[in-house]
Amino acid sequence: MNEFEQKISRRPLRQIPAGWRAEILAAADVNRRKIREVTFAGTVASGLRRILWPNPQAWAGLAAVWILIFAVNFSMRDKSPAVAEKFSPPSPEMVAELKQQQRMFAELIGSRDVRDADRPKLFVPQPRSECAEFLTA
Amino acid sequence: MPRSLGIERLYDGHAQSLFAFLLNFTRDEADTRDLLQEIFVKLAREPELLVGARDERAFLIRLAHNAAIDLIRRRGTRQRTKENFAAERISFFAPANDPDEKIFRRELAEALGGLPEDQRAVVHLKLWEGLTFEQIAAALDISPNTAASRYRYGLDKLRDRLRPLYEEIK
Repeated sequence: MNEFEQKISRRPLRQIPAGWRAEILAAADVNRRKIREVTFAGTVASGLRRILWPNPQAWAGLAAVWILIFAVNFSMRDKSPAVAEKFSPPSPEMVAELKQQQRMFAELIGSRDVRDADRPKLFVPQPRSECAEFLTA
Repeated sequence: MPRSLGIERLYDGHAQSLFAFLLNFTRDEADTRDLLQEIFVKLAREPELLVGARDERAFLIRLAHNAAIDLIRRRGTRQRTKENFAAERISFFAPANDPDEKIFRRELAEALGGLPEDQRAVVHLKLWEGLTFEQIAAALDISPNTAASRYRYGLDKLRDRLRPLYEEIK
């Protein structure tokens, strides 16, 4: 090294700002933690793989059964409103005919039970004043 | 040893050298900080990087050099022009009290800023890191002959530019 080179190289360089140390090391630490979390996720994944790997066909069969159960369940749930929509409400003629058949059946078996709707009302609740007139009469 | 202590040891042992190298190379303090952080984050993320390294300092300088090259490539020509303008004013020497010395350091910083990046890197590593041409070649991924010729060209330019001032304060 000649004199010129020595003269230049002796010039002291600027010092690194003191505050940078904490900031840079903190950034490095944050990054390392993230990597550790990723590594943890990887460990969990490899653990699962270790559990599932010895009998992959058994696990695949179990998964297929579950998929089948869900599919059947879903398809049945899907059909029920469609079935209800297929039946239209009975026509008034049909209702009248059914009532007539019911009445005839009741007469034939001699039943004295008549539907509430057809039974004559023996006592109709009245206001209290009318009730008092009835008692005094 | 916990990894965090390893990073701290690396920082305390090499950050000053990397700072000076990057500041001289980029001529920008904000870029230097970003690059320095990038290097230490990388080392924290991949601690195995240093496992096979024979010379830690040379390896870290290589990382720093590659990071700085990437940064310069990411930028356009416009940004580089702005950078060159800034290079006229930046100083990476310690402040001096003596007025003559202050002028010399400022002129030297400007002369270094005027060198092409590849010559500046070699001159810096030779003069302020005391590396051999073989070590510089390994750090910058060039041949020792290329390192030597870049150093010679760079030093000649510095000498030409600083000769009047150097003769004056000699």
